[in-house]
Amino acid sequence: MATPPETLIAGRYTVSLAQPMPEAGGGLACFAAKDTHAVDAALIAIQVHRDAPARARPLQMLVQPIDGLLTPLAHGPAPGPRGETGYFVICPAPPGAPLAGRLRPWTEAALISLALRPIALVLEKLAAHNVTHRAIRLNNVFEGRRGQPLVLGAAWAAPPAIHQPVLFEPPYSAMCHPAGRGDGRTADDVYALGVLLLTLALGRMPLAGLDDAAILRRKLELGSHAALIGDERLPALISDLLRGMLAEDPEHRPAPALLLDPGVARSRRVAARPPRRAQRALPVGETAVWDARTLAYALGTDTDQGIAALRSGTAVQWLRRSLGDVPLATRVDELVRHRFTDTPGEDARYDTLMLMRTIAAIDPLAPLCWHGTALWPDGLGPLLVAASGDSTLAGKLEDMVAAEAAAGWGSLRPERCDLALLRLEGRQNRAFLATPGLAGGRTRLTYLLNPLLPCASPLLADRWVVRLSDVPAALEAAIGANPKAAPLDAHMAAFIAARGDSRIEAETNSLTANTQNPMNVPELRLLAELQVRYHPRPLPALAAWIAGAAAPMIALWSNRPRRRELTEQLKALAPAGQLLPMLALLEDPPGRSADAAGARLAAEELNRINGELAAIAAGAPERRSAATRLGQEIAAGAGLLALAVMLGLAVLG
Amino acid sequence: MPAAVRPPRRHSLVWLQGLGCGAMVALVPAMALLLGVLLLPGVLAVLYDQQPGRPVARTVLLCGTAAAIAPAIALWGAGITVDACLGLLGDLRVTGTAWSAAAVGWILAELAPVVVLVVLDAITATRAARLRAERDKLAAEWGFEAEPQIDGNARE
Repeated sequence: MATPPETLIAGRYTVSLAQPMPEAGGGLACFAAKDTHAVDAALIAIQVHRDAPARARPLQMLVQPIDGLLTPLAHGPAPGPRGETGYFVICPAPPGAPLAGRLRPWTEAALISLALRPIALVLEKLAAHNVTHRAIRLNNVFEGRRGQPLVLGAAWAAPPAIHQPVLFEPPYSAMCHPAGRGDGRTADDVYALGVLLLTLALGRMPLAGLDDAAILRRKLELGSHAALIGDERLPALISDLLRGMLAEDPEHRPAPALLLDPGVARSRRVAARPPRRAQRALPVGETAVWDARTLAYALGTDTDQGIAALRSGTAVQWLRRSLGDVPLATRVDELVRHRFTDTPGEDARYDTLMLMRTIAAIDPLAPLCWHGTALWPDGLGPLLVAASGDSTLAGKLEDMVAAEAAAGWGSLRPERCDLALLRLEGRQNRAFLATPGLAGGRTRLTYLLNPLLPCASPLLADRWVVRLSDVPAALEAAIGANPKAAPLDAHMAAFIAARGDSRIEAETNSLTANTQNPMNVPELRLLAELQVRYHPRPLPALAAWIAGAAAPMIALWSNRPRRRELTEQLKALAPAGQLLPMLALLEDPPGRSADAAGARLAAEELNRINGELAAIAAGAPERRSAATRLGQEIAAGAGLLALAVMLGLAVLG
Repeated sequence: MPAAVRPPRRHSLVWLQGLGCGAMVALVPAMALLLGVLLLPGVLAVLYDQQPGRPVARTVLLCGTAAAIAPAIALWGAGITVDACLGLLGDLRVTGTAWSAAAVGWILAELAPVVVLVVLDAITATRAARLRAERDKLAAEWGFEAEPQIDGNARE
């Protein structure tokens, strides 16, 4: 394969597309990379998928290398393997192959010294940066030579936990849409580490014969520890550690710092009781529910049947009589009653809200369940990206944001979330969603919640634009390649609005471009502002396009000779590639005022002329009458004159 | 229903005119005969002209009277005799001139309004053309529709 011209990432790294490293990326496309400043450094470049943006926060926070972790070194666009522009995260190369292909039973000592302690230390350091890993799985943990500590792979080139198998995720994360699992907490990494320890201790994958749904169902019904370990015999220390690490409640899992001393960690007893089992099952759709956690899960996944079970009272009855949880039954009954007393009517959104609240009441550990989709609120951004090709899911998410569901969900479990933050974010998200015009709505919210999501404007084709400062140059190149396209479509406007600051908020909110008028003054003002700020160099192709599409802006002027002058002047300015003078020419407040005043005077004059012409047209009979009267007077005058002349002649003899 | 409005009472001077004519016939029959014959077209015009103010008859009478002055003076100089009157009336130039003058008066009364109307129409057409040219120029310069009324606001 021919290697495309090399592009430097962060000014020093290159991607060697000719050297793919499929096992090094934890499931993502991966290539060897080179550091132009340190030629011997073994590096990899993990390719980011366009619809699964890289994680901005870890890439921003992790500036110092962490031992035992493929810490990100840089990230940026570079040519991809198929000639398209790709986006890569540069990391150190792993020391060896991933564990996925070389499973064997590990001894307790090896598990403690080579797996638990090194990875716990990494998690501890990540936690100090307030960053989670969320990609601890067999194909993303690497082993160098035997006897060397394990190394965690990169978890930065895709949304958190999006590629995690259900087995390695806590059930309340596994039940979420893969893109909506969110950054989660360090406790979720501890859970994944626990599953890793179990897998290494067994030397094989636990629950290997079950599919994801069955694994999840088993975890919910039995609890993760019982579900995963079952009757397996494990070293006592590992078994004790796993009891805590695989606890359902994240609060019950040991912190990474505690895991550094396994002896202390095993002594931390967790008072987790097995879920209470009902005397008989409650059918919710195709699910036979035996316990409260499974009921919450069934209600969250089968919305229609769940709402029917709540409205008919069968769920409350089952909770009270079969499960014997009277307080919970009373609480659910109150929520159902509130739905009909506070919000009477058949609006489906109220039913969905009732269902969401009921699930949170039944299982406070459960994620936000909205109309059949489960997510953690911090996973909304990547989930919106995933929903870009799924209008049904997108509609549900819009509905959820509009209802500020996350705040309502958090208010039912305030001790387990930052309710104030959820409310603040919910209000902000709703405001952005409700922003009218080109630069508002779901598209803007998607870009806002995904700082490294590239602009999906069709104009940019396969160019990878993630920063506002890249927009002018990208537009210049795109317009140069495709002069018929409009530079500011809905995606581009939303992208600029999301990436911009308050200083261009007014411009982005006033965009009015449409198919017929792709370029108006607000659009030109925004582009000029971007050029002034980020790209002071000329943009001749863009300027020429604007000069050619300036008819709607020139049409704001009334005076036709002035319009012709403006057209000529714009054409003359275009080759210089500076948009600000073009904007000044078209805005020109004094000129516009004079033009408007002139137009008003002209209109008044035109009205006067039309009035006179109408009077002339209507005056024919009057004119005829006047002519008759005047003609007769003239005739009489002539006769009188003749008489006077004759009399004068007679008198004079 | 409103009460019928009584037309204003016309103070006709016909009896006075009849008295004057009678006196003239009695006192100077020759002069009366001469004027009666020479002003005969005017009298007929008075009878046939039904327009208010009898504008045609007025002009015919004025012109006829202008042409009758010279024969009347000639009759006066000849002693106002019937023979002289008949002599004058027998002169075709006298009668023809008087009646021709009356005809000229009639033609003048009929043609003058037409000529005035033509002149007024020409003036009006010239002015309308000038206004239309101004209007077209404004419409072209400011992009207005020329025909419909403009509301006075500049188009944005």
